[in-house]
Amino acid sequence: MKKIKIIQYINNSNVSRFRTIIQIAFFLLFVYGGYFFINAGQNLPTFACPYNPGSPGTCYLISAQHNLHATWDQLFSFRGLGFVTGLGSFVLFFIIFNKAWCGYACPLGTIQDWITRLRKLTLIRFTRYDEISFKRLSKVKYVFLALLILIPLGMSNSFFGLPEISHDMGAPFCQICPGRTVLPLFSGDTSQLFIDFTTTTTIVMSSLGILFMALFFVGSFFKKRFFCFFCPMSALQYLFSKIGILRLVKDGSKCTKCGNCSRVCDVGITAIADDITSKNIVKDDCMMCFKCVEACPEKGALDVKFFNLKVFSSTEEGFFKRYGQDDSLTSNKKKDD
Amino acid sequence: MINATDQDRYNRLKKTSTIHYNMEVKQVLAEIIDDFPDKISGMEYFYNKFKPLETDESLYPKDKKLIASMCIHVPIEIIHALDATAVRICSGAYSADTAGSDFLPAKICPMVKSTLGALYLDMLPGNAIPDLVINPTTCDQKKKMGEMGDDINKEFYTLEVPPSKDSEEARQYWQRTVKKLVKKLEKVTGNRLTRRKLKKSIKSIAQAQAEFRRFMRIRKEAPVIFGKDALLITNTYFFDNIDSWRENLAILNNELEERIEKEITVAKSRAPRILLTGSPSIFPNMRTPILLEKLGGIVVYEEFCSSSRMLNDTVAVDEWFLYDMVPAVADRYLKPSTCPNFTPNDDRIRKILLAMKDYKVDGVVYQTLTGCQLYDMEARKIGKALENEGYPVLNVELDYNPKDSGQLTTRLEAFLESIKDQKRKN
Amino acid sequence: MNYYLGVDIGSTTIKIVLIDESGEMVDKIGSPTGSMFNKNALDSLDRLLKSNNLTREDLKYIVSTGYGRKLFKISNENVNELTANAKGARNSLGNDIKVKTIINVGGQDTKVIMLDNDGKMTNFFMNDKCAAGTGKFLDISARNLEVEVQELQTLHFEAKDTPLPINSICAVFAESEIISLLAAGHQTSEIASGIHYSIAKRITRLASRGRIEDAVLFDGGTALNKGMVDALENELMRPVYVNSFPQFTTAYGAALIAKERYLDNL
Repeated sequence: MKKIKIIQYINNSNVSRFRTIIQIAFFLLFVYGGYFFINAGQNLPTFACPYNPGSPGTCYLISAQHNLHATWDQLFSFRGLGFVTGLGSFVLFFIIFNKAWCGYACPLGTIQDWITRLRKLTLIRFTRYDEISFKRLSKVKYVFLALLILIPLGMSNSFFGLPEISHDMGAPFCQICPGRTVLPLFSGDTSQLFIDFTTTTTIVMSSLGILFMALFFVGSFFKKRFFCFFCPMSALQYLFSKIGILRLVKDGSKCTKCGNCSRVCDVGITAIADDITSKNIVKDDCMMCFKCVEACPEKGALDVKFFNLKVFSSTEEGFFKRYGQDDSLTSNKKKDD
Repeated sequence: MINATDQDRYNRLKKTSTIHYNMEVKQVLAEIIDDFPDKISGMEYFYNKFKPLETDESLYPKDKKLIASMCIHVPIEIIHALDATAVRICSGAYSADTAGSDFLPAKICPMVKSTLGALYLDMLPGNAIPDLVINPTTCDQKKKMGEMGDDINKEFYTLEVPPSKDSEEARQYWQRTVKKLVKKLEKVTGNRLTRRKLKKSIKSIAQAQAEFRRFMRIRKEAPVIFGKDALLITNTYFFDNIDSWRENLAILNNELEERIEKEITVAKSRAPRILLTGSPSIFPNMRTPILLEKLGGIVVYEEFCSSSRMLNDTVAVDEWFLYDMVPAVADRYLKPSTCPNFTPNDDRIRKILLAMKDYKVDGVVYQTLTGCQLYDMEARKIGKALENEGYPVLNVELDYNPKDSGQLTTRLEAFLESIKDQKRKN
Repeated sequence: MNYYLGVDIGSTTIKIVLIDESGEMVDKIGSPTGSMFNKNALDSLDRLLKSNNLTREDLKYIVSTGYGRKLFKISNENVNELTANAKGARNSLGNDIKVKTIINVGGQDTKVIMLDNDGKMTNFFMNDKCAAGTGKFLDISARNLEVEVQELQTLHFEAKDTPLPINSICAVFAESEIISLLAAGHQTSEIASGIHYSIAKRITRLASRGRIEDAVLFDGGTALNKGMVDALENELMRPVYVNSFPQFTTAYGAALIAKERYLDNL
């Protein structure tokens, strides 16, 4: 009996509020953790940026880019082992929370959510992508991922007899990543806001960096979680998402296609509503914030599972409680079966 | 222009049709109330809503515009938010069917003829006189009916419904249609749609839906109320004030929960549990559920647009501002709809199969009104899907004329008997 | 020995069937319904029992069916006539032939019943509005041709030329058509077979509203007319079976149900 009461309490709870608190906690950890001598390692599946003095660790993309900056011979020897173990730790960290790293832990994501709140105060409307744009833009992150793999390789090796790529590219994605420019601002550090006039390559890359920072702020003002669409970390994570321990599962037979889930989705994924055959409903853009589960009024249609245990499920009672419409349900003595 | 003799004929037609209507209503109410021994006090409120038309007085607030609608695609949240009364005028009256035959071919759907006749003769429930009739382009018959506004002196507004609901194109089309509707309604009512009012009306309807879900949960648990009563409750939703409907449904639900505790049921445990689907049963054309229940079955779920479909699927909004609320309301009226006017309509099969499991249904009665091609054509696919799962289905064809009740009784009785037989064997 | 009774109270005739423990038909009796259903049925029953040296106590279970089924006071239970007809049909042609379509042409109405593999009714069509396509039409026609109804089948097979089409949809108008054909000097045999085809066509149209599946059982009093059977086979384009007691199939079904119920209740 007690167990059922606990499950009911969880299913009725306001996950979004819980999420806001968790986001603040992780933000403090990944932006200021370093000041408290926390060392979370170099293979984090989120944007803990070493350019930020307070960072407790390093995001995996940097490690990956550095590891790939090696000649073929080096890669196929013990240095390649370093790449493999780095990737391995990344995957191990990642699969615990699956894509919820994006929705609950990523500081860049949290910043975007704060910007969205700011927009709501100004009563300006948000934009959504239409279906065609969504499909096209969704591929950009894979392009970035491919580039951040190939460019470092191209810097140490010659592809097809072409000259090696200039070392000025450095860790190419870091040059344009908003993490590098935005996160240090929270420690009062503006040193990353510059244009490097040393060579043409550095001019281009650093200008792109400033441009992307501007796009980050402006884009996420009008489109919720704008940057996440183009994030190569998200792309890399999705490749391993199927073995994630935390899962979002859909039971298509219970789905009425009301579309509430895709309506509240910050990213704008329509597949949650329209796909009634897949069980694993996490798509590459999903950040597992579970707003969709909160908005679903059909019992058992969407479930959040950890291993095989149902952690949070969509329920009728939960839906009506969260949307503040349940005065009549309080008189219902029977539990939600 | 109606000249003197036309006016005379009109008056006579209205007088006779009203007499016929009142006779019909009295008879059906007598069957619903008196022919079943078990009295549920919470049903009094709903029974009283269906009275014969005794006066010409409109029972609706006189200071508000009255917006009539058909089908379940018109977003009533918006009508309420504009301080207007929303009345769904789909009609089940045979008496109005005959009047409507003046304007429409005899072989088409009796519901459309009946609605047109009722509009023409001002014989709508509660003597509603609409300021605007919103006619969605759903089935063929309704589409063309919308062209007869001049003939019957009523203003029709065509609400363009896309023929499909899954594609992005359909969604965009529908969003624009709804935006256009908002503008039209603002003009007709003279009010502006505000955020606060729309939020309030969305919540008010959501509360009514929550109460209905509670009602359905009760029915799932034990057979404490008949389908004929459930249909009467949902038919009331067509024209009643939403808040008072909800309050009285809550009172009824409390009474039904007490009945569950005291183990008072209206049907025996072996009574065949039936799911009704197809062309909707609209008061006073309630022959199918009444007969089924008189013959010993119990209707546990109605997959009708005059019943559960109106009240499923609640609107969820991300940001409570007009730019998100209006599209959210529009989406709710399109995406989950299982009306056969959309193609494809596999969602309907899924919904019925889920209901069969959830409500432990023994058999399905699929009714089609004569001339209703959409439901008729879907019967085959649905019949097959149900057969594959091992459920018996009975197809019946009806029109509003009560003369075929004898044949209907024979068929329903044989169907119920075969189910009882099967249950006995298991 | 246990006996079971099935009583079919139709609008014109009462049919009673007596079966024994093995389910075999022991005897049957038919009589006019009249206005006093109960009394007439009881009288008929008593006559049946007397001629078999049985009393009412030997009847372990009685099931009534048909139009007047609720008025037969001594029955243990009543069932709908479609259920009884289906049961009787399934068991009247032996185990090799599985009836899936029943075409019951009675005196006043025509019923088409579709059954599934288990013998349960899946669909049902009825013509109870119009005489054309029922046994009534044969009565009217026989009168017009000035023959007995039973002679019609003989005439059917005597016809040397093709049957004459009777086009009128309505039995009343068909009458004048028949008379004008006679006046024009056509053979009664061709007219008789034409009448059979006309009825068979109407029946086929009614049945085609559903899916007709083999085996087809032609039931009801009209099935005794072999000319009708021939015409129907040709119109349906499939073999048509007739059991040995077509007017009593429904009552037989009721009797079989009586046996089942009694044994279930034990």
